[in-house]
Formats: sequence, structure tokens, C-alpha cells
Amino acid sequence: MKKFVALMVVAAFVLTTMVITPMAWAQAFPRSWLWASTELKMMDTSKYKKRAPYVIGFSNASISNSWRVFFERQVRYGAELHGDVIKRFYVTDANDKPDKQIADVEDLLAKGVDLLIISAATMAALDPIITRTMRRGIPVVCVDRRVSSDNFVSFVTASNVAQGRAQMLWLCEMLGGRGEIVMLGGIAGSGPAEERRAGGEEILSAFPNVKVLDFQYADFSPAKGKRIMSALIQTYGRRIKGVWGDGLQTSGAMEAMKEAGMKVPITGDHLNAFLVRAQEWGFPAMSIDFPVSMGTDAVEVSLKVLNGEPVPFIYEVPRTVVCTQDTENVKTDMPWSKMAHPEWPDEAWNNTLPKKWLPY
Amino acid sequence: MEITTIGIRGRFSTFVRSLFERFGIYIFLAILFITASLVSPDFLKPQNLKDILNQSAALGMVAIGQTFVILIGGGGLDLSVASVMSTVAVIMAHNTEGENSLFLPVAGICLFFGILVGLINGLLITKRRVQPFMATLGMMIIVQGIRFLYTKGMPKGGFPPILRFLGTGDIGSIPTSIVSLTIMVIIALIVLRKTTLGRQIYAIGGNIQTARLCGYNIDLTITVVYMISGFMAAIAGLYLAGWIGISDNWVGKGYELDSIAAVVMGGTTFEGGRGGVVGTIVGVLIVMMLYNLVLLLAMPVQMQYVVKGVVIILATSFYASFRRRVT
Repeated sequence: MKKFVALMVVAAFVLTTMVITPMAWAQAFPRSWLWASTELKMMDTSKYKKRAPYVIGFSNASISNSWRVFFERQVRYGAELHGDVIKRFYVTDANDKPDKQIADVEDLLAKGVDLLIISAATMAALDPIITRTMRRGIPVVCVDRRVSSDNFVSFVTASNVAQGRAQMLWLCEMLGGRGEIVMLGGIAGSGPAEERRAGGEEILSAFPNVKVLDFQYADFSPAKGKRIMSALIQTYGRRIKGVWGDGLQTSGAMEAMKEAGMKVPITGDHLNAFLVRAQEWGFPAMSIDFPVSMGTDAVEVSLKVLNGEPVPFIYEVPRTVVCTQDTENVKTDMPWSKMAHPEWPDEAWNNTLPKKWLPY
Repeated sequence: MEITTIGIRGRFSTFVRSLFERFGIYIFLAILFITASLVSPDFLKPQNLKDILNQSAALGMVAIGQTFVILIGGGGLDLSVASVMSTVAVIMAHNTEGENSLFLPVAGICLFFGILVGLINGLLITKRRVQPFMATLGMMIIVQGIRFLYTKGMPKGGFPPILRFLGTGDIGSIPTSIVSLTIMVIIALIVLRKTTLGRQIYAIGGNIQTARLCGYNIDLTITVVYMISGFMAAIAGLYLAGWIGISDNWVGKGYELDSIAAVVMGGTTFEGGRGGVVGTIVGVLIVMMLYNLVLLLAMPVQMQYVVKGVVIILATSFYASFRRRVT
């Protein structure tokens, strides 16, 4: 009997491993808030407990780029998934303007929302109105971008610093701890770009023989990435042994390298153009996402708040890492080809949306 | 004797000033070129020079259209060009899906779109008496909105190989885009110097009242000029898309101000009636050389902004000061 039970357990394990797709396996990997390096601050939300159905407002900074388009759809999709408990779900778009977003929040409050979800256009400008909202007893959940004070219930996000670290760790290990690299950042002064750069530079201190030839901001623009990389190739040529990048600019940089006949390890994020071209052109590459699915997660967290369940103050969402080649400490969650989709548009992002919600 | 000497000095001084007034921008380009060669040995590498030329093509094309608009005077400028560039890029990617066979009809639609935006700009300025700044700013925002509606914020598709060739290919050892730009410059020169339209543009820019008394159709000429600008912006957008190779919502971002800077640096004045496309192309080369040089020198981004701003102001004032003294 014992043998039979053991056999059944083994069979069940094997079958489960076979049927779970690589994507599902990656999502199940607990690279989430449970793995926060410091003690978790859990928020008591019992005072916000309310009886369903709810009215929820989402104040979005903008849909000015493809990441934000997917992200906004993930929020709306999250609301649709819980249509049984959400009576009304209002969405506003601030066009990246803090003053408009303040007015948007005031409008949402006037509509009598039970909870506010916000992706703030800027940290400082939105802080006073969010603080006032919390004082009025309306819980606020920040997602993607927070406000400067701690006056909110939960912040649903993915660590930019960790992203920068992971990208640099892979690059340094790919080079065997020795070589010269260039770094292409996002927009000078923007939170994500500076935090990712800081994370990357932290790792560099552990690799004294990896030298940064140059750091340039490329504004998360493929065009600028290509122009800057072309100039860097002229300056440093074959001395460049690796490229650290954290966003859309890396796809342009890869174009420049291809035209110059160079093929060095490069890092990026889950923009389909980057994933597909790296695969097509055979670049050694690593990608970590800043998941658009955090939009849906924010709705889930909001419902927990309204149900009086404790939630983490900083809610790190699960994320995936893919590499064309594993290194000692950075392993791929799935084969690169599972994440790169040649049939998708260049500006598509890895997502959890059903077909009807896709913007293409 | 003394009087004669002063006369010679005066004539010499006037000659030098006249020389600078006529060729100031070329002298500035030469100074920048020599300085760049001295401070960065990588600057003179053939591939680097080729990169600068390749990257100058789209800006050169849109700046040709901008030159026409600024030449007409009356505060003329076109802020909608960058929006047109980005929009034609997504129209091309969406509709060709990377197929060569669809390139020509879709390119036709793109060019028509550029002309249409120019027509609306022109009608707003001539028929509704909207200031060019406000009319083209409004169109810039409208076209941006249309683009987002069209793409739902997420461009799709790809560029056909023929467009990639136009953007990145070579004819012999010369970039295809530079060959194309040269042809466009020659056509623009012919239009400005040898045709009635060109004469009307200079006349209206020089003195609109006199032009009216001469019987020129002012409104029609202004409208045509904005249509030319829209048309050139559409062409520039396609070449830029071909160079980048990625369908992006913000392909032409920043080109409206870069093109205005290049035109004014090139000697075309905001008052209108003076300047031309050759100066503009020199202005374009200065802008692109500058963008390249700050990277070759590995300047931090903060210094890049300062240096770019200072050089643009220097180039413009260098030219303007000699012009003032002569006139």
C-alpha cells in the first residue's frame, strides 16, 4: 500500500510538471512580496471594511506609452474579473499632468468612491490630495508610482533597484567578472531610471574588474538608443564587451550594434521588440520585467482592503527573468522563445490579459 | 593721407563683415568641425561621419519644409511637424505589416496625410487668422490624439524592407537617405529660386503689403507653404522610421524644435524673406555634429544640455551680429 501511495505521489508530481506550462511555472515562482528582504509591514485594514458592492476610482497618470496602455487595461480587466463585488469602477487619465490628476482625484472623491487607486504623475504634487483623501477615511492604494509620504494603505509595485541589480549581475557574470561595458539609462531624473541605475552600480562594486566606459541617458527611446549607441561604438569600438540597459532604448541600441557587426551581451526588459530581435539576431541577452499585470494585482489588493484583510504596505508583484544563457546567479525562468512573440507587435508587453482585452 | 587710410580700413572692415554675413554659418560649421576633430580623434572616423550624415537626413528633410514656413514671415513656424512624423510612421507600420508590396500605396496615404495637416494649418492661419504658433500647436495636439486613437496607444506592424533600405541602406558608399536629401535640397532650391512660388514666398516674407500690391495671392501662397511643410514632415517621418526600424508612438519627438533651431541657425530669419535651404542644411549639420560630439566626449547629460544650448545661441548670434552691423 505504501509503495502504491508513493508511486501515485511521484506520478502526480511528474504529471503536474508536464502539464504546467513554463509561463505558469514562472508566475508561480514566489519572487513576490513574500521575499522582501526586510521585515514586512502589514497594514491593518479592518477600519476600511465595507459591505459590497463597492465604488472604486482609478486615477491614472497617463497612457502615453505602450507599457502604460497595457497596464491600464490590466487594471480594467481586474475590475471586470470582480464585477460581482464592484458596482462602479471609474477611470481617469491625467495626461501626465499633476494638476489635472489632482482635479481628477477631486472628481472621483465627489463621485463617492469607497477606495482610490492611483498611479501618481509625480510623487510630490499628488501627495497633499492623497493625504487629505486618507484623512477623510477613504483608503488609497498606490500602484506603479507612489506619492512621497507614507499616507496610503499599500503600494503595489516591482522594485526598480532590484531590476537594475539583476541586469548588472547577469552582465558581470556573463563577462566572467572582467571587461568594459556601457550603460544606457532611461530619462534623466525620473524615478525608475535613477533607481535602476543605482541598483546596477551597487552590483558593480562587487566586480572591480568590470569598468563602465560611459553612462548615457537615452530617454526610453529606441531612436535615441540607436543614435547614442552609434556614437559610443565610434568612441569605444570593440572595447565594448557588454551593454546594460533597462528599457525601450535597448532595442535601438541593438540595431546600432547589429549594423556595426557587434554582438555583445545586452540587458533589457520584456518589450517584445527587444525579446524578438535578440532572438532573431542571436544576441546574448537577459530581460526582467516591470510587470504590467501589477494593474490587476492593485485591484485584488484593493478588494482585500475593503474586505478588512491585512495587506503588505509594499506589495512586490511576481516578476519573471529570462536569459538566453544562464549565469551562476541569474537563471532563466523559461526558455527565451516562450517570452519572445514574433507574431506580436514590437511594442507589446508580456501580460495576463485575455484576447478581448489586448490593445492590438 | 590719413583720410584715405581710414577709407581703406572702412572698406576692408565692411568687406570682412559682408563676408561673415554671407558665409558666417559656413565659417561656424568649419570652426565646429575643426574643433570636434581636435578634441575627439573619433570624430573623423569615416563611419562616424557617415553616422552623422545618416542621422541628419530626417532632420534635413523636415527642416526644408520648416524653411519655407519661416521664410514666409508673419511669425510663421510649424510645430505640428513632429506629430506628423510620428503619425505617418505608425500608419506605415500598421498598414504594410512589413510587406514591400503595400509600400507605395501606404506611402501615398502618408504623404497625403502630411499635406492634409498642412492644408488645415494654412486655412486656419489665412482664413481664420489664427496665429501660426497657436494653429500649428493645436494641430500638433490634435494629430497626437488621432494617433493615439488610431493605435490605441500601442503601435503594431512592421516596416517593409524597402523603407529600411531608404533609412539605413547605401548607394555605393553613400547613405540612401543622404542621396534622397540631396535631391530634395536641389528641388527646394529650384522652387525657391526659379519658380513663381519661390519669388512669391520671398516677396511676402520681405514685405507683405508690397506683395499684395503686386497682386500676389497671399493666402494661397501661405497655405501652399504649410502644405509643403506637412509633405516634407511626412517624408521625414518615413525615413526616420526606416532608420529606427521600430514602430513607436514618439518617432519624431523633438524634431519640431530641432528643425526650427536648424533653420534659424542657417540664416533664415523669423521676420521672413531672407535665408534659404542651403543655410538650413548647414544648420542641420551643426545640430547633428553637436549631438554627436557631446557623446564622443562622454559628457554627462547635464553638461550636454548646457553645451548644446550655448552652441545654438552662439551660432545664431555669431551670424546675426554681422548681419546687424552690415545692415
